[in-house]
Amino acid sequence: MKRFLLILTLLLVTTAMLAAPLRVAFIYVAPIGDGGWSFMHNQGRLYLEKVFGSDIVTDFIENVPEGAEGESVFRGYAQRGYDLVFGTSFGYMDSMVKVSKSFPKTTFMHCSGYQVTDNLGTYFGRMYEPRFLSGLVAGAMTKTNIIGYVAAFPIPEVIRGINAFAMGVQYVNPQAKVHVVWSNTWFDPAREKEAAVSLLDIGADVIAQHQDSPAPQQAAEDRGVYSIGYNSDMSAFAPKAFLAAPVWNWGPYYEKIVRSVMDGTWTNAQYWGGINDGAVDIVLSDLVPSGVAKLVMSMRNAIVKGDMHPFVGPIYDQAGNLKYAEGEIPSDGDLLSMDWFINNVVGKIQ
Amino acid sequence: MEDFPVLEMKHISKSFPGVMANDDISLQLKKGEVHALLGENGAGKTTLMNILFGIYHADRGEVFINNGKVSITSPSHALKYGIGMVQQHFTLVPSFTVAENVVLGLKDFGFVIKTKTVESKIKELSEAYGLPVNPRARVWTLSVGERQRIEILKLLYTGAGIIILDEPTAVLTPQESDMLFKAIRKLVSEGSSVIFISHKLDEVLAISDRITVLRGGKVVGTVEREKIDRRGLVRMMVGRDVLLDQEKPVVETGRAILKIENLNVKNDKDLMSVRDLSLEIRSGEILGIAGVAGNGQRELAEAIYGLRKKVSGRIELDGHELRQGNVAERIRAGLSFIPQDRKTMATCPNLSVMSNLFMKNSICELVHCSPWKLDGRRMHSKADELIGEFSISTPSAKTEVRYLSGGNLQKVVLARELSNEPKVIIAEHPTRGLDIGAMEFVYKSLLSQKERGAAILLLAGELYEIFRLSDRVAVIYEGQIMGYTPPDPSYIEEIGFMMAGARQEDH
Amino acid sequence: MKIRIEKRLEIPRYAGIIVPVISVAVALLIMGIILLVFFVGRLGNLSSAFRETVEAYKEMLTWPFANRYGLFSTFMRMVPLAFVALGLSFAYRMKIWNIGGEGQLYMGAMVSTWGALFLFKDVKSPLIMIVLLSIVGAAAGAAWALIPALMKAFARTDEIVVTLMLNYVAIFWVDYLVYGPWKDPKGYGFPGTAPFPDQARLPSFFDDEFHIGVFIALAVAVLLQYIYRKTGWGFNSQIVGDNLLAARYSGINVRNYTIIALVVSGAIAGLGGAVQMMGVQHRLQHGFSPGYGYTAIIVAWLAKLNPLAILLVSFLFGGLLVGNDQLQMFYKLPMALISVFQGLVLFCLLGGEAVSKYRLAIVKEVPENE
Repeated sequence: MKRFLLILTLLLVTTAMLAAPLRVAFIYVAPIGDGGWSFMHNQGRLYLEKVFGSDIVTDFIENVPEGAEGESVFRGYAQRGYDLVFGTSFGYMDSMVKVSKSFPKTTFMHCSGYQVTDNLGTYFGRMYEPRFLSGLVAGAMTKTNIIGYVAAFPIPEVIRGINAFAMGVQYVNPQAKVHVVWSNTWFDPAREKEAAVSLLDIGADVIAQHQDSPAPQQAAEDRGVYSIGYNSDMSAFAPKAFLAAPVWNWGPYYEKIVRSVMDGTWTNAQYWGGINDGAVDIVLSDLVPSGVAKLVMSMRNAIVKGDMHPFVGPIYDQAGNLKYAEGEIPSDGDLLSMDWFINNVVGKIQ
Repeated sequence: MEDFPVLEMKHISKSFPGVMANDDISLQLKKGEVHALLGENGAGKTTLMNILFGIYHADRGEVFINNGKVSITSPSHALKYGIGMVQQHFTLVPSFTVAENVVLGLKDFGFVIKTKTVESKIKELSEAYGLPVNPRARVWTLSVGERQRIEILKLLYTGAGIIILDEPTAVLTPQESDMLFKAIRKLVSEGSSVIFISHKLDEVLAISDRITVLRGGKVVGTVEREKIDRRGLVRMMVGRDVLLDQEKPVVETGRAILKIENLNVKNDKDLMSVRDLSLEIRSGEILGIAGVAGNGQRELAEAIYGLRKKVSGRIELDGHELRQGNVAERIRAGLSFIPQDRKTMATCPNLSVMSNLFMKNSICELVHCSPWKLDGRRMHSKADELIGEFSISTPSAKTEVRYLSGGNLQKVVLARELSNEPKVIIAEHPTRGLDIGAMEFVYKSLLSQKERGAAILLLAGELYEIFRLSDRVAVIYEGQIMGYTPPDPSYIEEIGFMMAGARQEDH
Repeated sequence: MKIRIEKRLEIPRYAGIIVPVISVAVALLIMGIILLVFFVGRLGNLSSAFRETVEAYKEMLTWPFANRYGLFSTFMRMVPLAFVALGLSFAYRMKIWNIGGEGQLYMGAMVSTWGALFLFKDVKSPLIMIVLLSIVGAAAGAAWALIPALMKAFARTDEIVVTLMLNYVAIFWVDYLVYGPWKDPKGYGFPGTAPFPDQARLPSFFDDEFHIGVFIALAVAVLLQYIYRKTGWGFNSQIVGDNLLAARYSGINVRNYTIIALVVSGAIAGLGGAVQMMGVQHRLQHGFSPGYGYTAIIVAWLAKLNPLAILLVSFLFGGLLVGNDQLQMFYKLPMALISVFQGLVLFCLLGGEAVSKYRLAIVKEVPENE
């Protein structure tokens, strides 16, 4: 009798598990049509739907402001019994910490944050790796040795990206300088274009960016100079300017997370995936000369193999202080809280 | 001068809530004449012209142009019939040039503006009519007189044959006025017709061929320039039918309560409009000030009440000098003001009768209330009491006053201004636009205040009213008192002289 | 014969309730048709699309008001809207157009953060802390509104422009602080201040989902209602609002009224900023308000500046936002479509209001002869 009950229970549990698909929700900070950050996360969601088919149900909400609004959205999903909720903007951190404590049965994943709870994990990508590679391209292609960088907000993620890019530039072209202008926006085409134009006006002939809009690319195209994109292959926006872009590729990572939740092996370990994981990568356009492309690809292979790191000493800051000695590599903690520029960057962290 | 009418208005009537602005007005404009419309403020001149120009629609009446009946529904429509109007407020774009402003008024200036042609044509016109203006100047750099010239040139440019000028000299210097008059002469000599609106006798006599006098929304008469003089016009304007059919209460006058010494006040256009004026009113006395509107009456009243700053002089209320521009102090000191603008100054149209009654309650209590806890019940019963006392006809104390008739609105003002036993009352055109019944009510109220011992300054256009109420009559002309007479119709000639600018000792 | 639009002389009393109800109903109806078309496109047949539309509507209308969690979300969004709108009503009653609610909210949040993290960091009593932060928050909003007030009173500058411009100044100031000197030293360089200490948080209930900010807003609304109805100030402010000339004629010191109106208006919005910090945000962050200061203008206007109606309208508005989130979250409706819906509701409300002031009249035209 006991045995029978046991079998029955097991049967019920397994059928329940089979019958109920995993319910996954994504919260985006911008519209998914932005062609940038939220767009790439949504690509990851679509990848999940393709891979898991009927084993999964995904839902999403766009344009959720950071702050109190976000909190009610997280609560809404959790309250409806969603199994896994991805919050894809740094500003959701406080809300996610708070809501994750109220709903222990739901797994929360926060992109780019640093706080965890029992059921809240964080994840991010080592975007500085492809940024470094794109810096190689920019350094090789500039003739004026003035490279413009339209920066978003003065936060470690952005600063790290600028420094990695500048490391790449320095690697191939020690004379070139990276000029930084802040737009203080994530998505505001008008302001980002203005910022790009101000860099073009001082003679920049390659424009790189950290925002989600392709406006800086278009500004470069209008002036007939080169551009480095971000997030996704932006060649469609500026076919004559676009050289390369460091890009996100969340699909494979999201697949891993969903599987770990399905089989119960999920932990709140902080995930920081690089090119070797497939979370980030670089795309190159046909405008990149084959010699440069070859250099970039060999560097990429070296990074994947672990033979190469974008940040290798000696690294000096803008004041000329030696921050990392010959051969020294900054720790992850240092990288995550970076708040200074290396010596070939022109500009100030506000 | 040809004699057929280019424009005829027949039996035009237009009423606004509580006011009959135009009452069965007929007017004929002949080809090549300057026709003056003369009348006090509020006599209905501007309303009539706004009807002609398509801004208002007449309730009744017809308009004929060149003997054909027309219905004008908008200013652009009026332009089509060759009617152009220079309004008191200009309609120019300050950042545009003169030429651009002229073109702006045209309906079909095409896609590309041929500035050169426009400029040369403006130049031609301005030289031909003696209205000098630089077509390339930006309007904001120009004086008021120059702006008016642009407005006229605009009309000439469009080829308007009937030109309406609404108080055109109000903003001009004497030299500019002369220039304008020459241009008007030139215009009519070429066959245009001009309607000239004014309340200034001298100009009307100087420029017109014929004069139509309006009073209280009605035509008093139309006369040929040659057949009338100043005094005749004054008489038409203020009314001939001055009857004294009522006895005035006899009151012992007391000490001088309101004393004004050498008062100088400027008007909105920054021109001195009360000059060195002195007067005195005793308790129990009504001083009536007669005069053609616009001779400083309003400025005088507002300066006494503190709404307008005086330039110099002294205003004393019962021995205390009143400080500059402090209305609250004056209300506290017992000064009441019945302004002529009932709707724009004396009341809040969208607030209730009760709110309007207690408008000054925080300064001078009609009903005792703590400012931290208004006693709605007590206010309500006091309001009902006042409504009864002043026989204000209103559905309730909560009715918004914009629904009240002119007479009832004025009763609300009277109830507020007179219930607190004021020492001095300024009454400015207190019966304008009211019907006979309401007028009598106002008279009775003011007379009973006088009996109580208030000193009353009455500013009115109608001599009837002045004679009916006053103990003394002063005549004001260009901000100065020309002289005093007893309130008796036998002095009407003398008053007429003084209203037209003659000093008492002159004859 | 011609049909002409005429202004109504008198707007019937019941219009105040009937018109908005009809307007919202019209908006819902139009949106229903759009949703139906959208779902037909997705699901392929009319009957299931119809069922989906009904479901979606049920979700949108019941969750924000009838479900515990939804209700809390609604309250959360209502509170900042209500505070700013109550503040605005104080100035708007005098026809002083304070567009600076957003900036005053930011200043209140900023200075209360300053208080919580630096100035009063040694205060341990929650009650004293909350009172102190409320006071400095209100004072900050008041000070921020004092600038346009003085400029209007003494230099006759247009308060609309000045208050609007000051919004940007306040927002950028907050940005400067959270990216710079006030950055949380333990925040790995990320922007945002350190979190508020526990004694600087408003008491909250039900798993921290519901804080007492609603009651503070209610208290402010009741107080304002009293001021508007029962005090000399409220009485005179009506006069200033209806007819400025009449106010001067009545001996009211219009300049003082102007200054006080704007300052109190800013103080209430600033208090809202402090409450938002103490109740929900618990740390100052870039862009913590998604334009509450601007939405509040609409709320204040729809509520006809009546304080209790403002509470109701901001509650309904909060519910509308929460309900719209539900549509996105569970029916995969694109954000653009939701924006269309919010636009429709506003459009119909404003349109209804405008239309109700007019009526159609048939005019007989005299035939022209030319």
